[in-house]
Amino acid sequence: MITVSNLSYAYQKGNPVLIDIHLNIDQRSTAIIGQNGAGKTTFVKLLKGLLKPFEGEVFIQNQQVKNRTAAELAKIIGLVFQNPNDQIFKNKVLDEVMFGPLNMGIDKQQATENAMEALEMVGLHDKLDMNPHDLSLSEKKLLCIASVVAMDTNIIILDEPTIAQDYQGKETIKKVIKTLKEKNKLVMTIIHDMDFVAENFERTIVFNEGKVILDGDTRFVFAQKDILKSAHVEAPEITKLGEKLGYRKTFLTIEEFIDYKNQERNL
Amino acid sequence: MKKIIVENLKYKYPLSEKLALNNVSFEIEQGEFIGVIGRNLSGKSTLCQAMVGLVPHFYKGAYGGKVIIDGLEVRNYSIADISLKVGIVFQNPFTQITGSKMTVYEEIAFGLENLGISRAEMINRIDFALNLLKIAPFKERSPFDLSGGQMQRMAIASIIAMKPEIIVLDEPTSQLDPEGSEEVFRAIQDLSKQGITVILAEHKMEKMAEFCNRILLLDDGKVVDFDVPEKVFSRDDLGEHGVNAPVYTRVCKALNKKKAGTNDYPVTLEEAVRVLGGMGL
Amino acid sequence: MRSISLYTERNTVIHAMDPISKLFYILFALLIPIILPSIKVSIVCVVLGLIFLLVARVFKKTIPVFSFVFLILLTVIIIQGLFRPGNQTTLFHFGPFTLYKEGLMFAFGVAFRVINIVSAFMILILTTKPSDLVESLVRKGLSSKIGYVIISVFQIIPEMMSSMETITDAQRSRGMETEGNLQTRMKAFLPLLGPVILGSLANTKERAMALEVRGFNSKGPKTYLLEEKKYRYSKVVQWGILLGIACALAWRILV
Repeated sequence: MITVSNLSYAYQKGNPVLIDIHLNIDQRSTAIIGQNGAGKTTFVKLLKGLLKPFEGEVFIQNQQVKNRTAAELAKIIGLVFQNPNDQIFKNKVLDEVMFGPLNMGIDKQQATENAMEALEMVGLHDKLDMNPHDLSLSEKKLLCIASVVAMDTNIIILDEPTIAQDYQGKETIKKVIKTLKEKNKLVMTIIHDMDFVAENFERTIVFNEGKVILDGDTRFVFAQKDILKSAHVEAPEITKLGEKLGYRKTFLTIEEFIDYKNQERNL
Repeated sequence: MKKIIVENLKYKYPLSEKLALNNVSFEIEQGEFIGVIGRNLSGKSTLCQAMVGLVPHFYKGAYGGKVIIDGLEVRNYSIADISLKVGIVFQNPFTQITGSKMTVYEEIAFGLENLGISRAEMINRIDFALNLLKIAPFKERSPFDLSGGQMQRMAIASIIAMKPEIIVLDEPTSQLDPEGSEEVFRAIQDLSKQGITVILAEHKMEKMAEFCNRILLLDDGKVVDFDVPEKVFSRDDLGEHGVNAPVYTRVCKALNKKKAGTNDYPVTLEEAVRVLGGMGL
Repeated sequence: MRSISLYTERNTVIHAMDPISKLFYILFALLIPIILPSIKVSIVCVVLGLIFLLVARVFKKTIPVFSFVFLILLTVIIIQGLFRPGNQTTLFHFGPFTLYKEGLMFAFGVAFRVINIVSAFMILILTTKPSDLVESLVRKGLSSKIGYVIISVFQIIPEMMSSMETITDAQRSRGMETEGNLQTRMKAFLPLLGPVILGSLANTKERAMALEVRGFNSKGPKTYLLEEKKYRYSKVVQWGILLGIACALAWRILV
């Protein structure tokens, strides 16, 4: 769905943030991880057309990003910003969610339908007339997710969705990701929460100092202990437990681990 | 010695109809490391702010009961007076920078200048705080010119320089990357080793289980439990209170593996390995 | 560094001078041409100001400011030279226009005063750390709260600028066209204001709390980490400037 070739970027000359990135992003849900400053956000901004590449090319569904404005690209690729306060600007929850679809030229009735469906998904459908600024931080983040989901783009990128979320908030986001996957959307995220990556994303790409140093199935990636360490990334807690116990298998979820243990006992 | 005594604390923000804290009572000993957990809006931040007098002095609102910090009843003293006993660090490292100082070194001095500390003493304290938080190499940098983890450690150093005996940290790592969080957690452990009483509100349960002597579980403004991590995390009703136990506890619970000779499940990686190891290896 | 301060680090006599003396000099530059309106006096003051800027080795930094000022002054000179009521003495013609001596002299008078004041302010701004300036005012009795507000503006404006960029990006991401002609850009600008203002208000609340717990409202006397910037001759400079102003007044009244 996304082809990136030979991509480099620098905010200041001589100080590159991304160096020669080649990636082929397919339908698998994908997490981008790495330290702050590794180039993750810059990469996503290039995909969105918010920045223009220094060198190299990005194609999204066979459209060359370079030749499109960010507003045009909004029809195929949606991005939820990390800080909801940067995104929210209407004074009603429903209007906020309808803003994107209306901008894309969807008619009002369809836009309302999209918005309602998205709000239901994040559990805010009973707060339509509230002022978004009266919501809690975690609700605001869910509202921002809904505002992008309502645009019904084929690709959705979430920037740090789990920050400020408690257990319930994370469960809601998990559900949203699952629903989007079922609708055949490509879901991508920039994230520091490795447990969440292991449970929800099929593919993981590790950025370090402007380069992709690891890329593959999430299970494969979290098995590469030494490379992860060099990128200052820690494996998920359950993976660490399995490893400490000396298992060869790389565990990604608690359920997997428990099943394995139960089978082992039954042997 | 009792460092903190909270008695029947009730608090309601202005313009709100609900009690943010509802009859909260507990006591904390000198030198303890206390974790505060609970779902969003359960009252964690409000409680943290009640320890330093921001509740009620900053927000006003309706207040009942008592918070006594090292003998001072918070309600009767100004925030500046209380700040000599207890300091607080917030989530967002950016908004804690005063914005009026040119270097990290001067930034840390801000509180000391306000308190009227002599210059010689100030320099001593700043050097102590810089070293404890391991940010001495950046002392001449602009406060804005730091990574998130460094910035948050500067915020902690700015509080530590004021020599409080208690430090309250309200989700200090939630906006940092893993390395930054790790730096901050290590710094907090160092503070605890110095004998400072620590109160930490945090969502990362694995860290809480590892560091805390006792865990205070809040829900809907009320104290649900206040006990050692093994007891709190072994509760069957954690989910109902919007909290997930550490991964290690959840695994051991599902496999019904208790800590030897107790009724509690392991809460840290090491404990879980001890309980789960031996079989299948 | 994220600050809009124009302070330029140099090691010169002017930099070593205390901020209050520089404020005295601004007073001097403001008053003298008013007390003694002769154009010669103005020229002397301008030359004096330029010499100070050269001594402080910050002259280069003033060029963008001066070129902006010159642009405005040029229009003043042209308009006054051509159209000032009371224009009599013709200097020269070009095309249908006539340039008159009276208007021109008046415009030059204005121009020198402006340049004079601008250079006095530049001396202060370019050679003094904003924090030093405010700190010395606080020591002289300015409320430390007002001092804080002044100084934090230098840091918080750049913060607002960068959040403005992020917000623009967020809106482009949701299909709002912000590139293109002036009308599109104007239309895109208004929705920006809400989030920028609300965002900085929220930050202000958090920052206010962070300041409170660091004793910002402490009632006792304040101390200072940095030693007061003492300039050996500050009393001489300040009294000298006052004496100069007094002399100018006396001259004006008596002569």
